[in-house]
Amino acid sequence: MSGRLRTRVDKASGDRIAYSEGAIRNNSAIIEYCRTSMAALSGATSGILGLTSLHGFIFFLLAGFVLWLLLLIKAGSQWQQFFVSRKNLLTSGLTSGLFTYVLFWTFLYGMVHVY
Amino acid sequence: MFLCYSMAKAVYKFLFIFGFVSLLHGGYSAAQHRRFIRITEQEYSTLPTDVFVQCLVSLIVTMYGVVHIVGDFREIRANIQLENKTWETAGNRPSFYIFSHRGRNLSPNYSACDGAYGN
Repeated sequence: MSGRLRTRVDKASGDRIAYSEGAIRNNSAIIEYCRTSMAALSGATSGILGLTSLHGFIFFLLAGFVLWLLLLIKAGSQWQQFFVSRKNLLTSGLTSGLFTYVLFWTFLYGMVHVY
Repeated sequence: MFLCYSMAKAVYKFLFIFGFVSLLHGGYSAAQHRRFIRITEQEYSTLPTDVFVQCLVSLIVTMYGVVHIVGDFREIRANIQLENKTWETAGNRPSFYIFSHRGRNLSPNYSACDGAYGN
């Protein structure tokens, strides 16, 4: 176990909650991996479907939402064990996958619909 | 328990591979449809519904596989982690280990005449 701790005061009860730094890093690495895979796969899908302009970006947001749901399903009802904030899980790193998404989107669109 | 766990892993791996192959198949179908439209000189509007649905479903199946393959989440609240530890683990101090102690007198093949390290 890593000895470093991070604390945060719980607003509801006023208790101090200590988080283990290593576990948080482990979880965010898993989420980052999932996010990258989701960006690549959803980019490929939108390319195959032949989405253009705004539809593609809406599909990207939709894919991010679906990934959020999948992660919450994996975590189960006790999501507080694994994430500090559920809202943060949805929004953090959403833009970092955008370039991967656009790359696969344009590539598959070119492969399927142009050539 | 372990067998069950590895079987679940295999199922998720299968889901991932199945979804990915299905996605590629959907892409090939879309390309073929596009080519058919071009050869018959029709106007392209949208993909056939079955290809559309296949792509979306295989994306979700693949992602479901990926999310479960990548690994398990760890408990982030530090006090819960400490509660599961025994005192033997928490109080372990390797610097204070002693290997050459008086307990050697209890060994059946120890004789005092052999000196300090005899056995």
